Amino acid sequence: MAYSDKVIEHTENPRNVGTLDKADPSVGTGLVGAPACGDVMRLQIKVGAGGVIEDAKFKTFGCGSAIASSSLATEWIKGKTIDEAETIKNVDIVNELNLPPVKIHCSVLAEDAIKSAIADYRAKQAARAQAK
Amino acid sequence: MSLRDPFATFGLPPRFDVNLPELERVHRELSRAVHPDRVASSAGRKDAVERAMEVNEAFRVLRDPVKRAEALFQLRGIEVGETNEPKPPPDFLMEVLEQRESLAEARATKDEARVSALESAMRDAQKNAEARLTAALLPGASADTAKAEIGALGELRFYRRFLEEVSAIHDELLG
Repeated sequence: MAYSDKVIEHTENPRNVGTLDKADPSVGTGLVGAPACGDVMRLQIKVGAGGVIEDAKFKTFGCGSAIASSSLATEWIKGKTIDEAETIKNVDIVNELNLPPVKIHCSVLAEDAIKSAIADYRAKQAARAQAK
Repeated sequence: MSLRDPFATFGLPPRFDVNLPELERVHRELSRAVHPDRVASSAGRKDAVERAMEVNEAFRVLRDPVKRAEALFQLRGIEVGETNEPKPPPDFLMEVLEQRESLAEARATKDEARVSALESAMRDAQKNAEARLTAALLPGASADTAKAEIGALGELRFYRRFLEEVSAIHDELLG
């Protein structure tokens, strides 16, 4: 199966690969896995004033499409508010990367990773608010 | 997807811990018995072709631990597959991710000993998941008993992926 040019481009030059400090209260960490293929993906966001995502990093162990999906996701969510980032749908990723049907689950994984990072950030904030 | 019981096709008890040499022996026997070339009439040949396909399909399921476990869950009416199974717990995913990171480092530094150490830890984890599946999927075990360990099936797929990566790295470091 041939990868689209955009997938190849992201796989060869993935954006925002790396780690943010998990213990930082302004960092949300999303961890998702696809049992069907054994791929794992970690996506982290650093949220600043007004709920704006200042930085995003990812680490993905999986196929080219999974790497490209998470790379694109971090590019898209940087500079957005968490509410905006939450509206990103996997079909947006599918369309941008021209993913074939067998690789759609990779884009679902990236959408889940964004949502799970945001949920983690919100849970941290709620816990802090309660502690005060 | 066919709902035919692959264990019945092979005349074996529906257990997760199959004996692989035994499985291969039964496969050879059944394949010989149903070979279409042994049948003279064309109608008989059509039956034999179907039967041969059934035997091969059953063998494909039974020799693969993941497919074998899936079949044992399905025989109890439990749906499997990514959308039907519970999501892997975060602690488990964290562990897998960390192991994958260590493996990537070991690959980059060509540290064969470290690759082997990671491989052996993963094989232990795989054995543990397989033992849990064996216990939960014994003949006569209820659907509830089986379902309580469906997470072990998900784990097995991650371990398999990890071990595939390990064998690719071994090849790379040898070559």
